[in-house]
Amino acid sequence: MKDPKKRSRREFLKGSSATVAGAALAGGLTVTRSAHAAGSDVIKVALIGAGGRGTGAVAQQMKADKNVKLIAIADAFENRALGSLNNLKKQFPDQVDVPTDHVFFGLNAYKDAVATDCSLVTMATPPGFRPMQYAAAIEAGKHVFMEKPCCVDAPGFKQLMAASTMADEKNLLVGVGLQRRHQPNYMDTVKRIHDGAIGDVMFTRVYWNGGGIWNRGRSEDMTEMQYQVHNWYHFCWLSGDNIGEQHVHNLDIGNWVKDDHPVEANGMGGCTARYLGGNKGTGQIFDHHFVEFTYADGARMYSQCRHMRGCQGNVSEAAHGTKGTSNCSGRIEGENEWRFDGRGVSGHQQEQTDLVAALRAGKRYNEGFYGATSSFTAVLGRVANYSGKVVKWDDLVAKGTSQMPDDLAWNAPAPVQKNAEGDYPIPVPGQFNPF
Amino acid sequence: MSDKKNSTRREFLKSSSAAAGVALAGGLSITRSAHAQGSGELKAVLIGCGGRGSGAAGNFLKNPNTKIVAVADAFEDKAKGAAGRYKLSPEAAFWGFDGYRKAISVDCDMCIIATPPGFRPIHHKAAIEAGKHVFMEKPCCTDAPGFNMLMETNKLADEKGLKVGVGLQRRHQASYTQGIKEIRDGKYGDIMFTRVYWNGGGVWVRGGGATPMENQMRNWYYFNWLCGDNICEQHVHNLDIGNWVMDDHPVEANAMGGREVRKGKMEFGQIFDHHFVEYTYADGRKMYSQCRHIRGCWSSVSEAAHGTKGSGGVSSRGRGANPYDQEHTDLIAAIKNNEKYNEGWYGATSSMTAVLGRMASYSGQVVKWDDALEKGPAEMIYENHDQLTMESTPPVVPGEDGTYEDSVPVPGVYRAY
Repeated sequence: MKDPKKRSRREFLKGSSATVAGAALAGGLTVTRSAHAAGSDVIKVALIGAGGRGTGAVAQQMKADKNVKLIAIADAFENRALGSLNNLKKQFPDQVDVPTDHVFFGLNAYKDAVATDCSLVTMATPPGFRPMQYAAAIEAGKHVFMEKPCCVDAPGFKQLMAASTMADEKNLLVGVGLQRRHQPNYMDTVKRIHDGAIGDVMFTRVYWNGGGIWNRGRSEDMTEMQYQVHNWYHFCWLSGDNIGEQHVHNLDIGNWVKDDHPVEANGMGGCTARYLGGNKGTGQIFDHHFVEFTYADGARMYSQCRHMRGCQGNVSEAAHGTKGTSNCSGRIEGENEWRFDGRGVSGHQQEQTDLVAALRAGKRYNEGFYGATSSFTAVLGRVANYSGKVVKWDDLVAKGTSQMPDDLAWNAPAPVQKNAEGDYPIPVPGQFNPF
Repeated sequence: MSDKKNSTRREFLKSSSAAAGVALAGGLSITRSAHAQGSGELKAVLIGCGGRGSGAAGNFLKNPNTKIVAVADAFEDKAKGAAGRYKLSPEAAFWGFDGYRKAISVDCDMCIIATPPGFRPIHHKAAIEAGKHVFMEKPCCTDAPGFNMLMETNKLADEKGLKVGVGLQRRHQASYTQGIKEIRDGKYGDIMFTRVYWNGGGVWVRGGGATPMENQMRNWYYFNWLCGDNICEQHVHNLDIGNWVMDDHPVEANAMGGREVRKGKMEFGQIFDHHFVEYTYADGRKMYSQCRHIRGCWSSVSEAAHGTKGSGGVSSRGRGANPYDQEHTDLIAAIKNNEKYNEGWYGATSSMTAVLGRMASYSGQVVKWDDALEKGPAEMIYENHDQLTMESTPPVVPGEDGTYEDSVPVPGVYRAY
């Protein structure tokens, strides 16, 4: 490409791995320390965040390789850590070996888990915690599998990028739970689009429109901090809103197709129905977002995500090019009509199979850069919607703020507090400051 | 185009005006009023004496041999005030919900219709049935029954040789006519999508009124049956440009919208403060439409087109007369020269495009054009319309707290039809 800025954006996207992708690493890998690289030795895993997705991710790692063993488990809540452990023990009796003193709970439990003699940390805590926990794992010399999204704000994004650079320097491997990247129907289609099958991509359309998610009640003995972490999806500092938490999957496809990230966003969103009736006063995130993202070449990505019952559901992506269109997942229409006829795989399984294979082969593997970039794309869209302003990527990276509290403790003040009406503050476009 | 359905849609858009510019063979009703072929005075009545109506009448009156001969408004004070401005006798001022009918029945050639949009189909129909030429403001309807009424009336206008102008003034603005020509000539290649915006801080809010009906009639912008929401009332200008670029209308809409700042006050009525619509044309092309009434946000009133060879604004360089003047000059010339002239087709279609987007935004459903036309409910009161008074019950009434919050559509709950 002639656009030097674009080239630097792409390097930014891929980080240093651009130069050595796929190549076996010359130097010794940290994994050799734990004697499992390039062989059949045990890969010891510590799980941080033992909810449904974390438990599932570890299960898939253990399915991928019989010598993957869970040796530590951490969660903010003790019952979650123990529940997940029991669940995994039943499924994988030979691969779970977590002594009592390797079950950790509390908001700083991740530190204890990282400090064990694990070689791979699998993290699936609420997204707001991800950058801090990822950085701690990389600093401790551990390989990482982290769930999406990877950050909820600009400081978190910068922390991710720095940690991913460090991961490359330390020869650590990083997998990210954007599983579409591991599905052959997506991989083959995007490759064809990159090879010009639909001409120049003028715009993409990406959707995560659904009925919504759980909303967990408050029990009487909870502190405010406990309630917010317990009901984390409904607090922006923890989930990043649903544009981050779920829709990042689709935004990532849009970025992948364009091989770039947007330079600005202009959107509309709001909270119409989420906190009515019995849900009054239970959270602060929007229930609809519709964003126009603009790439440096003027191409657009139109992004919709919604959590409202009774509306049209749609989770999909599409790309429109000068020579055709594609659903990005197995179909190309137009001059180069094509259908994917390969086998379908479970993306959640494949992403673990690929990561473990790379660990065994001692190959460079760092998904942290696009994980961070696509997560920050969601942050950009969210901030545009909350503020009603056109927000530029560079400005938000430089000036975006964080709500993550310095003091992470159950008795510490929570970052958001209810107003006089008993509601958590929901951003108001025109009044919310993007920076 | 080889697409048979597309050619049907285009005929639908343009209807009999395909023969546009051709002088009519048959006798015209306008010969009755002695101004045809350029000699006589063109006498108009003004129906709807608010800001835009007065503006339109002013644009009309800049042309030679033009005269306002009667006025009508729902409110007596407005009608009398306008009569005074045009130096009319008190008998030439009409008011009430049936005032339009009285004004139309005076000896006139033309009706300038600038009442709240919900009334437009009714007033347009009455004027055409009475054999009058029409200039009507945009938007031209607020619901599907209104659209269907407009289309029937447009057909009747063509049959009767009556001229219809519509206040989508960009169609008469040199920068746009030039821009459209350049796009047709391939400036951007084949157009793949358009972007159209009316993002601003909002409009006036009016209080008062002894009854809910009077309150709504004064504060009409905030009620669907009268205004059609801001996607209709203002944004129709930009949607019309999108349709003009595509030379077609969308076949479906998928949208998100809501109320973030218009909350908790009676005067905020029931309309949304933001709409973002993805329109799809029959061949898969898109129009992305944003309209917003929220202060402190990004503002833009513009249109852009993206094609296989480039992208940019729809309007181009081109200097001409004030388009608000030009739209009247063009209509009057067509009347004088007895040329076929019916903007009612695209006026109706672009207005219905807004209604379609609103139905999608309110419901959270993907709404198809054909379904909307067939099944879309009435917002306006069409039955026994002329018997309405300020004491009549309007289609929406305030809740116990005095606001219209209960009448604000909730996506997922609201049914498009």
